[in-house]
Amino acid sequence: MNRRKYAFLIMTLPAVLLFFTFHTYPALQGIFYSFTDWHGYGPWTFVGLKNYINVFQDDRALHAYLFTFKFAITTTIIVNVFSLLIALGLNSKIKGRNFFRGVYFLPNILSVLIVGFIFNYIFAHILPQMGNSLHLKFLAKNILGDPNLAWIGIVIVAAWQSIAFNTILYLAGLQTISSDIYEASSIDGAGKWREFWSITFPLIAPFFTINMVLALKNFLMVFDQIMAMTGGGPGESTESISYLIYNGGFSGGEFAYQSANAVIYFIVIVLVSIIQLRILQRREVEM
Amino acid sequence: MKGTLKTIIGGAIVLSLSTSLLTGCSSSGKSSDEKTHIEFFSSKTENAATYKELIKEFEKKNPKIAVDLTSPPDAETVLKTRLTKNDLPDMVAMGDSTTFTDLSNSGVMTDLSSDDIVKNIQPTYIDRVKKDYNKHDAVYGLPYATNGNGVIYNKDKFAALGLKDTPKTFDEFIADLKKAQGAGEIPIYFTLKDAWTGMVAMNSVASSMAPDQFSKDKTDKKTTFKDSYSTVADKLLTLIQYGHKDNLGVAYGDGNIAFAKGKGVFYLQGNWAIPDILKANPNVKLGVFPFPATNDPSQNKLVSGVDVLFAIPTSTKHKAEDEKFLKFLLQKEQAQKYTDEQSAFSAVNGVFQNNPILEGYKDSFATGKITSYPDHFYPAGFNAANIVQGFFIKKDKDAFLTKMDNEWDKVVNRK
Amino acid sequence: MNKAKTNWPVQILITLGSLLILFPLYLTITIALKDPQQMAQSIIAWPKHLHWENFSQAIQMTNFFQAFKNSAIITIFTVILTLLTNSLVAYSVARNMHKKFYKFLYYYLVSAMFIPFPIIMLPIVKQTSAWGMDNIVGLIFLYAVYGLSFNIFVYVGYIKSIPKELEEAAMIDGAGTWKIFWKVIFPLLTPINATVGILTALWAWNDFMLPLILLSDKNDATLPLVQYVFQGQFSTNYNLAFSSYLMALAPMIILYLFLQKWIISGVTKGAVK
Repeated sequence: MNRRKYAFLIMTLPAVLLFFTFHTYPALQGIFYSFTDWHGYGPWTFVGLKNYINVFQDDRALHAYLFTFKFAITTTIIVNVFSLLIALGLNSKIKGRNFFRGVYFLPNILSVLIVGFIFNYIFAHILPQMGNSLHLKFLAKNILGDPNLAWIGIVIVAAWQSIAFNTILYLAGLQTISSDIYEASSIDGAGKWREFWSITFPLIAPFFTINMVLALKNFLMVFDQIMAMTGGGPGESTESISYLIYNGGFSGGEFAYQSANAVIYFIVIVLVSIIQLRILQRREVEM
Repeated sequence: MKGTLKTIIGGAIVLSLSTSLLTGCSSSGKSSDEKTHIEFFSSKTENAATYKELIKEFEKKNPKIAVDLTSPPDAETVLKTRLTKNDLPDMVAMGDSTTFTDLSNSGVMTDLSSDDIVKNIQPTYIDRVKKDYNKHDAVYGLPYATNGNGVIYNKDKFAALGLKDTPKTFDEFIADLKKAQGAGEIPIYFTLKDAWTGMVAMNSVASSMAPDQFSKDKTDKKTTFKDSYSTVADKLLTLIQYGHKDNLGVAYGDGNIAFAKGKGVFYLQGNWAIPDILKANPNVKLGVFPFPATNDPSQNKLVSGVDVLFAIPTSTKHKAEDEKFLKFLLQKEQAQKYTDEQSAFSAVNGVFQNNPILEGYKDSFATGKITSYPDHFYPAGFNAANIVQGFFIKKDKDAFLTKMDNEWDKVVNRK
Repeated sequence: MNKAKTNWPVQILITLGSLLILFPLYLTITIALKDPQQMAQSIIAWPKHLHWENFSQAIQMTNFFQAFKNSAIITIFTVILTLLTNSLVAYSVARNMHKKFYKFLYYYLVSAMFIPFPIIMLPIVKQTSAWGMDNIVGLIFLYAVYGLSFNIFVYVGYIKSIPKELEEAAMIDGAGTWKIFWKVIFPLLTPINATVGILTALWAWNDFMLPLILLSDKNDATLPLVQYVFQGQFSTNYNLAFSSYLMALAPMIILYLFLQKWIISGVTKGAVK
């Protein structure tokens, strides 16, 4: 039995050590540097909480938080609503179901960066051209050039890609519901709307929870789309936190300062995740 | 189901093993061809084609050396990332920017002052770069090409408007813009989707003030943007009235194409844009003139900086090869080729820009009516380009100047 | 399901929706095959004369095959390394969850999912380059390590559902722990291995951030990174840019065309569990 114990230990220890070395250790380093004035090179000294105090006074950082959350929450809601609708559609009686399922999943396998480049072109050239020929004023300009609309462009691209994965998860959830339940309810004469809210939705609630949590977490990390489409502009209207930390940390020579920003970001993410899980799980139980 | 999975996993393993066998360790194998590879890092993308040709010629003459050109977008971020990694390239070509000053002052560049090749270069340019070093007698970068940040104009359209001489004062320029607008033309083709292009305008308009003095005073709290930049902001607001309907939706690359195809009479860009514009339409007739920032022609200067300088990081293992390549690039023949193809001005002795397009800058260079880039003296991490871009959107002068002041103070305070 | 008739309103909506998905891809293909003159006439129309030379030009410019090889090597080895190591760790943790130490490990690894990457980003760049890992090997390694959090979560849930009796029977036959894992457990993990393998492959193939900050040698560049690096040089030639994008997307799309059913069911199986 001792040998078995030993074997289990050997199975885990190396991996855990590696995980510590390449994940936890750099994270601790990041926390450490956040109390220094290091540029990423050259000498440094301890500066205490100065970086943290500065982050709280930094409009640019504050704005990045606002943008990131605005973007993440909107996209999470849009993605979940649309993927649930599409999943319901794909689960109903239509021709070529497998074909359409394949099509709707397709965006998920594509590179976020390249999709960003493609949409960048669509926003800059195709849509304004359409807008001009159809005399639609709101389309005639590149929405990525408008500080009030640019974030919507990024929402569209992120949603276009992410709907794929969530649709498939919802579809899987819907397929676990046996048709007997529906038959019973249709005898009762329940309408489609009521049928959805009283039968379908409660049964796929766990999928809803997972999708909401994962989607929000992913969208809070938004980076590739920003790199591909706006570079944080126009103005600073689409600077996400990840982008700000990358850009400021390396090019601005603010390694230590942005490390402090990253630590704050970490705390925020943990809080958000805990709150979200609590709320969603309570809902699940209630239903 | 299980069967297919097994086949696929099996297939994947066989495939991966065979690729790894085939390629050996070539993913890290730089010396597979027994040449000395030097990595030549360029911070500009416009001149990649010219470098490639020069490299080809160099490699022909030096078959033992291979030069690998890297020119990523957002190159200064990449370079700083690599500084953080202690992994600088063998040779760097970049502008005389805040990043270069930072690199020089952190001691990672080779001091070339004792090298003979320094003599190939006009001393005025070496002195200009030197000014920013902590160590004043060192030469960390060898200036190669200089630029002119002013106005490019479409000669045919200009003539069609009945205009003869390029404007010498700000009011004259505005009068020309009005005329263009009246004729149904786009007066200025802005490309503000790329934030940095707003700095071309900003630098032009702010050029009448002594920029290094302003930055010193600003950091010493002797002045503020609010006090000194009020007229600059006003002029920028005037200019943006003469744009097109999607000033902030067009990016630099698209702008070059559009301007080449006859959109816009004036284009606030540096000479570096000319090769790309000509590539999009070789028949377009272009001219340039210094931006008339004030109404006193004697005060108006051309904003010019070192567009390309070469530097050799101390960490390189191929210093001899680097110097060989450096010497090659600094020879008159190569420098002339670069100057011609890139519509640049050379810092190399005896190499002149004879392109008629750039006739409009000749006088400024000849009489020394030249000034530095104001943003060259901004502190690192100060995100001026995006703030200026934001100003072009919101057009709120007070908010803009306050933000410039506050952000500057914060960045300085963080150091 | 009763044999109801096709639901036409839904059919129409789903069809229209799928056009929204396919349009950007159609656009990519047409632009990749045109020249600037044809673009000026119409961006959307299918070109009469196809400019295949865009592809050869893009291949030459971006050194496509090198990047393809790098991406393929990174993806394949990441998947293999991930499947072999992560499942092993998960097995050990899942079977010892009653012990404090392993329970702690489980929560330690899984909770790391909540650590945002930016906090690691700056230090890891220094660390990998100091240790000579700013290359393909380092990337493979990091993908396998960073995937651990999520994969442990998925694997442990699955392994718990495998009855212990199977192992006990094998143990009575005299098989050691390692042998039990490889001969009994690992084959049983096939469905979940498929899930983890597919998700890992998609991640490693499409990831942009890690290659961007980690790789130093441009000969190591992956396909997404190459698209970014050449952005400036593409700037005035969209046809070239799009043919390069298309080639970068194509390998995954082709694989997907053949393995579509398997990929989708792999992804869902992990989730339904």
